[in-house]
Formats: sequence, structure tokens, C-alpha cells
Amino acid sequence: MLRERRFELSPNGDAALDIRFSAAPGEQLSEAIIALSEAIEAESFPAVTELVPAYQCLTVCFDPLQLSHSGSGSADLPKLESSLATLTQKILAQTLRTNKKNTDEENTDNEPPEYKRTLIRIPVCYDEQFAPDIQTLCSHTGLTAAEIIARHTAPRYLVHMLGFTPGFLYLGGLDEQLHCPRKARPELKIAAGSVGIGGGQTGIYPQATPGGWQIIGRTPLALFRPDQDPPFIAHPLDRIQFVAISPEQFTQTDPFSAPDTIPLTEFAAPEVRR
Amino acid sequence: MTLHIIKPGLQTTIQDGGRPGNLRWGLSRGGAADTLAMALGNLLLGNPPAHPCIEVALTGPEIAFTESLSLAVTGAHFDLTLNGKSVANDEVLQIRGGDQLHFGALRSGARAYIALAGKMALPASLGSLSTHVVAGFGGLHGRALQAGDSIHLDHCRLEANRTLPSQYRLDYRGRPLLRVIPGLEEQYFSSGARAQFYRGGFTISPQSNRMGIRLVGEPLPVENIPQQISSALCPGTIQVPPNGQPVISFVEGQTIGGYPRIAHVISADLHRLGQLNAGARLDFETVDRDTAHRILHDKSLLLERLPHKL
Repeated sequence: MLRERRFELSPNGDAALDIRFSAAPGEQLSEAIIALSEAIEAESFPAVTELVPAYQCLTVCFDPLQLSHSGSGSADLPKLESSLATLTQKILAQTLRTNKKNTDEENTDNEPPEYKRTLIRIPVCYDEQFAPDIQTLCSHTGLTAAEIIARHTAPRYLVHMLGFTPGFLYLGGLDEQLHCPRKARPELKIAAGSVGIGGGQTGIYPQATPGGWQIIGRTPLALFRPDQDPPFIAHPLDRIQFVAISPEQFTQTDPFSAPDTIPLTEFAAPEVRR
Repeated sequence: MTLHIIKPGLQTTIQDGGRPGNLRWGLSRGGAADTLAMALGNLLLGNPPAHPCIEVALTGPEIAFTESLSLAVTGAHFDLTLNGKSVANDEVLQIRGGDQLHFGALRSGARAYIALAGKMALPASLGSLSTHVVAGFGGLHGRALQAGDSIHLDHCRLEANRTLPSQYRLDYRGRPLLRVIPGLEEQYFSSGARAQFYRGGFTISPQSNRMGIRLVGEPLPVENIPQQISSALCPGTIQVPPNGQPVISFVEGQTIGGYPRIAHVISADLHRLGQLNAGARLDFETVDRDTAHRILHDKSLLLERLPHKL
């Protein structure tokens, strides 16, 4: 239950506002942030151009030219700020109620429609040719490669947000046994699709970029598909499960095939481990 | 009509207004690094301000044309020649079949724009033709143009000879001054660090690219700054990573960041980032948010009035 309901509205440059929450990052805060993002979208504020969720923050970008302008500044900006604050209070209160109802297993009929969450299975080949750093992880954790793979494929990771580069998924729920520091010196080029662990986070590099995470496998799937609709394979609040595949399956997989998606309701969603 | 790339230059790309609205997917806007220079060229030709054009960076290309069309070069000043004869920026150039446009030495600024009175026959990706260099898609084959590339153009037109009025001609020779609004974490920097930042203490690093403009100078102390909540990173945000060397987020920057933000370049001055050259010292001047909006409003009015002055 989201008990901590404080938030702050602060400028992020001259064309964006951050709504920053005091609650700890986690599934419930992410749900509230996505609900707020949908509520703001539903209001269709003419000046609002982008809504960007993060672990503890929702950024609202706006076009200053769409705000009416007087000699002393944008007259509409204080109005937009107070509308956003009111909506945020409302959503946080609603999230609190929804969570209460869910705990009581009551059916609710007056709630905003929720995004249909899916469990997305992402094939990952953990074979050593794709896992240059798995030995580092073995020596750091004291686990065998097989144990690392078992622990990495077990959770249903929560997608908190997308960001950094196109299609990168910020995932919550990495097994604490697998936490491992980043490399002191980042690699200049990590292959696209590489699956890594950096501190308490795990994720997939969508593009070949520099990076400091310990690489333990690779997915044959493209996470960003500019010529497909939708161009991204997951939304915030989806669940991701990694499925270990063989090098043969890796080469046989079409990078642009649809990941095996199953409605989450068919599964008992476990709590995200922190 | 076909445009042939004879020499590609350093990073010659197809650009337009980019792909706004996709930050939530981790996709930065991309598009022209200097949207103002792009708009000026397009307006000279009677195009919409963000009509797809060719962005030329630091070392220019050599381009051959098979048929007639009008074009205009705006932005950075190169020694520009058409069939070996010197031609100028900021005016309509009439191209005939067989002509060759050559970019010589760079004189000022960093990026020029070749606006075209025609449409590049390329498929749009997520609503734009722009090349996203970091993500490797859009434009032609998702990369900068190479020698031997050809781009087909449809609906080519010849426009009247027009020249930008003098007040619209941008001069990049002076020491760059960027107006900023203070970042949320500015308060954590010592007064000495702030003074260094605001008094020309940093120069542009050659490591800069479309993702970020890196600054080099005496490192700013960041040890005592509390850990930040990651949030959306918009172009113009100046973050200070642990090495104390500020980075200005640029058109293809990462979309989420968590380093302390000392300041944000105002929206009205973002176009100026596209013309910064390695080695230049940067001055910053703070304005408040209302002033930032007023400057943007004024610049936008100037641009709206331009078609009536041509």
C-alpha cells in the first residue's frame, strides 16, 4: 500500500516539470506513476508534449509556445502546475483506495481502465560465447554458472520504465545473490542484445553502445523495431521473464519475431523481490 | 532527379524535426542539431520549417545533382563552391543538371544545412526521415551518408532568388554565450564551483557528438552532492558526472539521467548547441524561467515573420 503520498513539483529546465515522489521505488509507486501519466494524457492539456515515467518521478514536458504569453511570462504555467498537482493528489489517493480494495479482494467498477499487462518471455542464450563476464559473476557470487542462470531466469521482472537508449527496459526484481558491481572501466562496445548485471540492476542493451555492466548472455530479439508497430516489445508495468536457450536456438530466432506473450492474469504474479 | 554523394564529409546526415513524443520509450527526439538554421533554409525556399534537409558537420561533402532544383545552405560557414565558383550561404542557389556543390574549409560554426526545394524519396520511420545516428535508423540505411550513396528527389522546384534579410543571418564567430536556467541541484555546488562554471571556465571537448556536448576544465567538486532521483533528461540539461566535467545533453542524448544538474540551456538557445566547436570557451548566463519563455516567444515571432520579408 502506498502510504507515503508526498510529492514535489519542480522545474526540469524551462520546458519540463518533474513530479517527484517521496515514496520508495517499487511496484506500487510505478503503478501510481503510470496511472498519473494516463490521467494527464486523458486531460489533453494542449501544451503537454511528453510524459516520461521514471522510478520515483514523472516528467511532464511542455511546449512553452503553447502557453499564452504576457509581458511578465507565461500566464498559463501556474495554471498547468496547479492542475498537475491536483491530478497527482487525486491519483495517489485513488491508488491507495485501489490497493485497499485489491487486498480485500473486492471487485471495483468505478476505476479507470488499466493497461493490460503481459508477461513477456525473452529468450536469452547464456552460452559462454555470449557471456564474457559470467566467470566474474561466478567468483563474485560464489555461484556456479548454472545457478546464476537458474536465479536469473526465475523472477518475473517488473518493467518500471523505458529509457536511456531506445527500448532499454529498467527492470525491478533481480535476485540479491546476483548483485555485482559494474566494471571499473566500461567497455567501449557491448554487442546489441547483451544481457547484463550492473549493481542491483539487470537489463538488455538494445543497441551496440559503450557499457559497464557484467555481460552474462545475449538475446537474439531486437528490443527496438523502428519499422514495426509498436516499435518496442514492452510497456511499463509489463513483466519480463528470461528463458534460457541454446546457441542453435539463438541463431534460428528471427530478431523481429514477436516475443512469446502470455496475459499475466493466467499466472500468479509473485511479489517483486527487492 | 538524383543527388549523388561524391565525398561524404565527416557526418553528413538527413535530418528534419526528429521524433518528438517518444522520450518515454527511450528514444530521444533526434533531428537537426540546429533547428533554427534548418528552418531558415527551408523558409528561404518556401518549405515548412522542418522539411527534411541534409545536415553537414565540421567537414563538408561534395554532392552532384542530375537535374535542376533550388537549394539553400544555411548555418555554419564553409568555403562553399558550385562548380568551382564561390557561392554564399543564406540565399537561394539555382542548381542545374551536372552541377557539383563542394564544401571547403569550415570558417565558423559547426553544422550547415542544405535545404532542398524537393522531397527526398525515402520512407519515413516513426513519422520522420531523420537519421538517428545513435540508434542506427532513419535517413538512408540508418547511418551517415557515404561516398556512392544516391538519394532520389521528387517534386523538385525552382524558386525565385531570395536572400535572408541581414537580421536573420547568423554569425558564429564570437565567443558562445548560452543562457541557462539554474538546475535543481545547483544549490549543492560551492560558490567557487559556480563562479568557475559561469565565468568561461569550460571549453568544448572534441569528444562531443549528437548524444552529448562534453566540457573540459578544472573538475567541479561533486562528492558532497546527494544521490539524485533519475528523471527525464531533456536536450540542454547540463549534468555533472562524478569526474566533475559537465556534459550538455544533446539531440540524441540518453532520455533518463541521474547526475546532478547544474543548469539547463533555455529552449530558445538550444539551436546554438549545434554550432559549438571543439576548443571554444563557453560562457553561461542565468535567466529566470519567464525570461526564457519570453526569449523563445520573441525568436518564434521573428521566424513567423520571415516569409513576409522574403
